[in-house]
Amino acid sequence: MLEQILVLLPQVLFDGFILGFIYAMIALGYTMVYGVLELINFAHSEIFMIGAVAGVEVFRYLAPLIPNGYLLLAVAVVVGAAVAGLAAILVERLAYRPLRRRGTTNRLVPLVTAIGVSFFLQDLVRLIEGLWHNEFFLRMRTMPDLEGSFTLFGGAIFIQTKSVIVIVVSVLMLLGLTYLVNRTKLGMAIRAVAQDLSTASLMGINPDQIISRTFLIGGALGGVAGVLFALIYTTINPYVGFLPGIKAFTAAVLGGIGNIPGAMLGGLVLGQLENFFGTYLPILTAGNFGAEYKDVVAFLILVFILLFRPQGLLGQMVKEKV
Amino acid sequence: MSLLSLALSLVFLLLSFLAPNTLTAFLGLGALGVAAFARLEPRVRTLNLALLTLAFTLFLRSSGNTLGLIGLVGILVALTTLPRIPRGIRVALGLAILLLSVPIAGFANTFIFELGIQIGIFAAMSLGLNVVVGMAGLLDLGYAAFFAVGAYTWAIFGSPQAGKFLQGNFPLPGEYMYLFMLIAVVTTAITGLLIGLPALRLRGDYLAIVTLGLGEVVRILANNLDHPINITNGPQGITPVGRPPIDWFRSLMGALGVRLDETTDYQLFFYLLVLVMIGLVVLANVNLANSRFGRAWVAIREDEIAAQAMGIPLLPTKLIAFMTGAAFSGVMGVIYGAQRTFVSPESFTLLASITILAMVILGGMGSIPGAILGAAALTILNLDILKTFSEFVRTSLPWIPSQVDPAKYERLVFGLILILMMIYRPQGLIPEARHRAELEEEA
Amino acid sequence: MKVLEVQGVTKRFGGLVAVNQVSLEVNEGEIFSVIGPNGAGKTTFFNLLTGIYTPDEGRILFLGQDITGSTPDKAAKLGIGRTFQNIRLFGAMTVLENILVGRHIHTRVPYLHALLRTPLARKEERKALEEALSLLEYVGLLHRKDELARNLPYGEQRKLEIARALALKPKLLLLDEPAAGMNPKETEALQEFILKIRSERGLTILLIEHDMRLVMRISDRIAVLDYGSKIAEGKPEEVRKNPRVIEAYLGRGAAGGAA
Repeated sequence: MLEQILVLLPQVLFDGFILGFIYAMIALGYTMVYGVLELINFAHSEIFMIGAVAGVEVFRYLAPLIPNGYLLLAVAVVVGAAVAGLAAILVERLAYRPLRRRGTTNRLVPLVTAIGVSFFLQDLVRLIEGLWHNEFFLRMRTMPDLEGSFTLFGGAIFIQTKSVIVIVVSVLMLLGLTYLVNRTKLGMAIRAVAQDLSTASLMGINPDQIISRTFLIGGALGGVAGVLFALIYTTINPYVGFLPGIKAFTAAVLGGIGNIPGAMLGGLVLGQLENFFGTYLPILTAGNFGAEYKDVVAFLILVFILLFRPQGLLGQMVKEKV
Repeated sequence: MSLLSLALSLVFLLLSFLAPNTLTAFLGLGALGVAAFARLEPRVRTLNLALLTLAFTLFLRSSGNTLGLIGLVGILVALTTLPRIPRGIRVALGLAILLLSVPIAGFANTFIFELGIQIGIFAAMSLGLNVVVGMAGLLDLGYAAFFAVGAYTWAIFGSPQAGKFLQGNFPLPGEYMYLFMLIAVVTTAITGLLIGLPALRLRGDYLAIVTLGLGEVVRILANNLDHPINITNGPQGITPVGRPPIDWFRSLMGALGVRLDETTDYQLFFYLLVLVMIGLVVLANVNLANSRFGRAWVAIREDEIAAQAMGIPLLPTKLIAFMTGAAFSGVMGVIYGAQRTFVSPESFTLLASITILAMVILGGMGSIPGAILGAAALTILNLDILKTFSEFVRTSLPWIPSQVDPAKYERLVFGLILILMMIYRPQGLIPEARHRAELEEEA
Repeated sequence: MKVLEVQGVTKRFGGLVAVNQVSLEVNEGEIFSVIGPNGAGKTTFFNLLTGIYTPDEGRILFLGQDITGSTPDKAAKLGIGRTFQNIRLFGAMTVLENILVGRHIHTRVPYLHALLRTPLARKEERKALEEALSLLEYVGLLHRKDELARNLPYGEQRKLEIARALALKPKLLLLDEPAAGMNPKETEALQEFILKIRSERGLTILLIEHDMRLVMRISDRIAVLDYGSKIAEGKPEEVRKNPRVIEAYLGRGAAGGAA
């Protein structure tokens, strides 16, 4: 059994990274919104899904026009980011901002709204796809030049071209975001609003505008993650966001909610853990407990982190003021 | 105004005899709207409601059209919320609707029984969730997990399923269902303890996502515990789940002059059983709300730190709320499984939890009549109106693609309800006094 | 008899020492005030006594019993009642309900009795109601009993918060700036009220207050905190003359300070 585990290990680690990068990109959306609004934006999983669906549609319609898979993917990434980012802004405008305007103090209200938006968007996309194509289980069109693969270390790791693309795009995205947040004026404003919304607004920052842009950036990243997800897993439906969404949230908590490098780290760690358990649990339990328990593992990690290290790996402790 | 309103009700009564069709039903609902919202003298209003009760009953008896049921639910809401109706009349009319009108309608159309039972089951669960979310302010997104535990508690032992992993004679005889209603209280309360003990230590929004996750864990377990030992029979679910023998009920009804056939006997039985359960659950809810526990829950919802300074321990008090809600749900799970004779993981998804949450929110967090109204409205919407609308789309709007089937869009509807309620009426349709104050001031 | 003994208590937040090696003793029936400039650590000190924070060093004894690091609800059960600097009423509950919550630990109804509303539950509830009503009458808020706490005027909210703490039947009452935001006339009434509850309810009172006139008139003894450390302790006139105290207040130009 040990030998079996060791043989699989390089592949498991590699696949864990791919999953981890996707989680990391989604987790950033949760963590940024939580940073500025202290709201668990349940609808973010649907923003991710919208990105995935947009990617599928780009491939469906533009593949005949753009025979180069790489170029097509680039278009899909841009469109996915734009559509998802816009959807995120719309959600903020139409659902969350009215609540802020009213100045509600009850924490349940925004949370319940977010859940409502999440459910609403699932079926809205289903409705749109139903009217458009009369189906809502979608398949990503395959492009021959993206379907290649090769092996490393004498066959120890099997690598698809697509996986390499995912890693490259994710790393670029994460670097871009880090630059944006740390080096630009917008990034500084976002961090200021996250620190203290009312003081930031006294400093001449328009909080609504910054919140809007935070949703845009988080949504766009989620959308890119969605396109890459569709590329790798190929089958998509309007409900596909739920599990990656809750896991990405777990990743954000794992890294320290509100903390941007934390979300990236959390995503990578969770991707590894999940892939690890998904692969090895059936082997370790002689098939009695299968890969379907990997979701249970993710949920339990969430509970344990929240109980024993609620500030996450990189976060800082915040205590309620008495 | 008074005369007009009375005339409208009388016309509806007449048409219920002559032409009990959909148009008449809408007329009746209109008459009900006038009776409820127009400025009427209390006596006129009361008379109107009595007339409408009679009319809707007749309408249902001759047509079996479920719109009539909506009318009856509306009258019940009016009876519980409108001021200055004599108490005796409220009770008498309410009982007449529940014990006479609905069964009469049910004999005309057994789907009415089905609706009544589903409404009842969900109403009882909403009342349970109302304790957790409404009173104690704990957002539980995994509430369906308790429903599942209750349903499986009986389903496993009330079917041959238990024989697959235990020695003994299974299924247990149907009358054990009553015992298992008590056992389910215990098993779900323990589940509540197991989930609550870690989850309730967490702040509000974390609690939401952790209960969501742990609720999913319960569903995943139900889905996968068909191996290595077959406890739940996995995705196929368990069937047939036993029902209690009801010979005594048949003879009792026979003595009362009600003739039952094989489709209606269990329906009527479960309908009445569910009514009794709602009665008990409402009583428990009211008792708790007016006790030190209810006050402690609201205090915690309002201000945890101040509540602690009053000697209220947070975790135990929250746990009691959580376990109470769980137990309500568990009992209804047993009845649900027995009534449908079938239990599978599909009934206990996140959608189910959100549906119950939407019921509580729609009715008004913390409000007992609100929770019941929310359950009635969403169950009718889900099982009847959306299906009717689907039928209409299929037959009358053939240009709409076949995949666009309104009955499948509960999430759209429930999501929209949650969003709109939170933005425009967070206190719900029938607000509880405390929340009304809190949420209206913000509005 | 000593109601409260604080022995070398220290609390740090990160690098900041909010409370530094503070020791003091409060005798039964005393009104003991803790004063000091803003940010001196007074409220943190209260939060240590009531178990909201756990001290990093030192011990706290209440009626001879070690309560260091206990939880706020346990402190309340032992007999420490408190109010908050920024009033924390249960705003969406009525005045009466606020008092009933204050009486929570004295309403002994087991869960099943409450669920079934047994004769025992009814009896206890009736007793709770009677006591709450008589307490409201005592503090002069009976006419407000069915109003929502958040709708009361500010002065009455302060009063209700004290009444709610009294419902606990505490042995030690901690008042965190009860006179904040009150005009001189209201402060005078508050002074009467505090003296009255002390003598009629056999209370020991620990007071944080900025209004020096009130503090000087009402206190038996005073401790002064500055930067988390106790810099003086004694009778009002002693503290008033203490040069370190004068420096702590006037040295920072806090002219409204030492009266």
